[in-house]
Amino acid sequence: MFKTKRRLVVLGAAVLAAAALVIVLVAGWAGSGHRDVTDVDGNASAVLYTAGHQPLAPDFTATTLTGAKLNFAAYRGQVVVLNFWGSWCGPCREEAPTLAVAAEQYKSAGVDFLGVDVRDTTASAEAFTRNFGITYPSVSDAGSVITLDFTSVVPIAGTPTTLVIDRTGHIAGAVFGPTTMGELTAMLAKVTGQAA
Amino acid sequence: MTDVRAPHADPLADPQRDQLADPLADPDEQEAGRPASADFGLADWARWAWRQLTSMRIALILLFLLALGSVPGSMLPQEGTNPAGVAQYFTSHPALAPLLNHLGLFNVFGAPWFAAIYLLLFASLVGCVVPRTFRLAGSARTLPPRAPRYLTRLPRSAEYASALPPGQAAEVAAKVLAGRGFRLRRPAADAADGDWVSAEKGYLREVGNLLFHLALLGVLVSVALGGLFGYKADRLLIQGQSFADTPIGLDEFYPGRFVTSNDLPPFSITLDQFDASYIASGAQRGQPSAFDAQVSYTATPAGPVRTDHIEVNKPLSVDGAKVYLIGHGYAPVFKVTDARGQVVYDQATPFISGASGNFLSEGVVKVTDAQPQQLGFSGIFVPTAVEVGGVLESVFPAADNPVVSLIAYAGNLGVNSGVPQSVYQMDTTGMQRLTADPQVLAPGQSLKLPGGQGTITFTGYQQWVSLAITHDPGQLPALICGMAALGGLLLSFMVRRRRVFVRARARETGSTVQVGGLARTDASGGFEAEFASLAAELRSAHDQAVPSHPSAPSAHDQAIRHEGE
Repeated sequence: MFKTKRRLVVLGAAVLAAAALVIVLVAGWAGSGHRDVTDVDGNASAVLYTAGHQPLAPDFTATTLTGAKLNFAAYRGQVVVLNFWGSWCGPCREEAPTLAVAAEQYKSAGVDFLGVDVRDTTASAEAFTRNFGITYPSVSDAGSVITLDFTSVVPIAGTPTTLVIDRTGHIAGAVFGPTTMGELTAMLAKVTGQAA
Repeated sequence: MTDVRAPHADPLADPQRDQLADPLADPDEQEAGRPASADFGLADWARWAWRQLTSMRIALILLFLLALGSVPGSMLPQEGTNPAGVAQYFTSHPALAPLLNHLGLFNVFGAPWFAAIYLLLFASLVGCVVPRTFRLAGSARTLPPRAPRYLTRLPRSAEYASALPPGQAAEVAAKVLAGRGFRLRRPAADAADGDWVSAEKGYLREVGNLLFHLALLGVLVSVALGGLFGYKADRLLIQGQSFADTPIGLDEFYPGRFVTSNDLPPFSITLDQFDASYIASGAQRGQPSAFDAQVSYTATPAGPVRTDHIEVNKPLSVDGAKVYLIGHGYAPVFKVTDARGQVVYDQATPFISGASGNFLSEGVVKVTDAQPQQLGFSGIFVPTAVEVGGVLESVFPAADNPVVSLIAYAGNLGVNSGVPQSVYQMDTTGMQRLTADPQVLAPGQSLKLPGGQGTITFTGYQQWVSLAITHDPGQLPALICGMAALGGLLLSFMVRRRRVFVRARARETGSTVQVGGLARTDASGGFEAEFASLAAELRSAHDQAVPSHPSAPSAHDQAIRHEGE
């Protein structure tokens, strides 16, 4: 009888160990996606994708806040800073002045800025861009379908999120959360220098 | 003579009694005694602890603790579902709240002590169910025991004389029992303990038990699957709006441990129309009679657009996720122009109905980009307004006479610091109140703000619905396992495991046949009748097997041989 109990203990331990192994394996598999990036400025929220792991940005056609049709494919050949924002989003207000300045600064370097205005209305969004002196266009994404497409290649968890897209249409870097001039400068130096 | 006797008080000792005993009881439990000896080593302690953990008693205690631990989760506001409620609790109970927070009572389901109970329960159940499964499988495979020597001492027994010699009588009995679906055991060829047959039936009981235990494990695994790979989310959707199933499109998002934003099914839903009907008269006046959310949706971004209805308890199923209708309300539409004449706000703003009933709802309008100062309005929406002694009341939940009542503020809303804010609350500490009294507006009416700060117009209203999205990959397996567990339990309750023994002893001519029967847990009765019919069948088989004319020398020879013993 004692022997049987010992066997049961061993069996129970084996089952637990197997369960733990499965969990560890699955966790490793789930976390494996994060090794394709390097941090910018030692800040985990801003990353550059390593060569060969840069996801291709999905194409979209949408209407801008001013009512014009915009085809994202037409940006191919340009470096694009794509900013997901909303007038309702506090952290977006924090980074808006930085983006307005950067857009002006990088105009001559052939870097285009484009906004994706998520879950917003035209009246509020236009008041926002007017207020912060943002002159680059934004497409309206009230139903967050453009965001949905991008989320399939980049883990966009909220606004603001900023993507740096190279001349071949690949996503070279991403900032999750409000971006800073330092992060933008570091990323754009890499992307424009690389392609030059 | 077929002599069916009443059960004896003391059935024969059963060598396999443990395995026939109710398999739902825990045999380990009786042995989980406390250590007494001084040389009780570390390994012994570990073994003792493991036995304690996997005992049925501890499992039940843990289950009770789990239920008890969930109570504060429903009594106190929780961080995940109601952060505003938690903040309010901190203000109203300044002394108690920090203590409760320290104990994790505002985030019960994420608290370490709750996880500890859950994990211990899980380990306890796995440690209990897995070894038991093997034991039950083993018990279902074992042969019936050897026939006892004196079958008349069994709870049911019969005795009659047969003209057949003992060996042949046993042979005939074996044939009858096999024909009735019994599993047989015969004496070994060289055994010298006589001619007998042991037969056992009702293994389905063990199969049912096994099924129950395996299905119980399956339920645990399914629940874990759902917790690791499922997600829950909420979204408030105003009529005419659409949203996509991606973190940005969701208001609240609670992913499982292994769920990333990329794993969500990529559907989009548009609320085309929402209808709520209410009982218009009688004692039930104002009670809802029907809700119907008409939606159009795409399962994938480029997929075809389909339409469907979501009603209470009738969710929309799309790509493995279920979308439930859990609430609704009104969203008054406001248009705001600022001091410079620019339209700075033009949208439906969801208001939340409070305790005062009939969908009298509260909300705030934050105009963050008005110039030169930010504007804010706190207000109520009254669907069917009646003024009672200078106070607005809603007398019916439908919007028969909608009005809003607003208090206007100007100043700093505090949103530029980058700190995310609730859209349902406004911090007025940096704001100056512009209107002394609340201003009541009917649809189409405007309020001119003092000092030329701008204008707000109440242009109409929309309805909103609150949708709960759940994706639980463990749901279907859990249902199947739950049903299997129930089926197994029924099987193990309804099927009796019973044994029948036949022993033939030689007499002058032929043999004396003894038949004994034993059923465990014969709660539903019926074994008595079964045994009687079986005994009768055995007897008639034995009678028929006797040759009508003496041309069976082998039988005669055998009878003589047995007589000589």
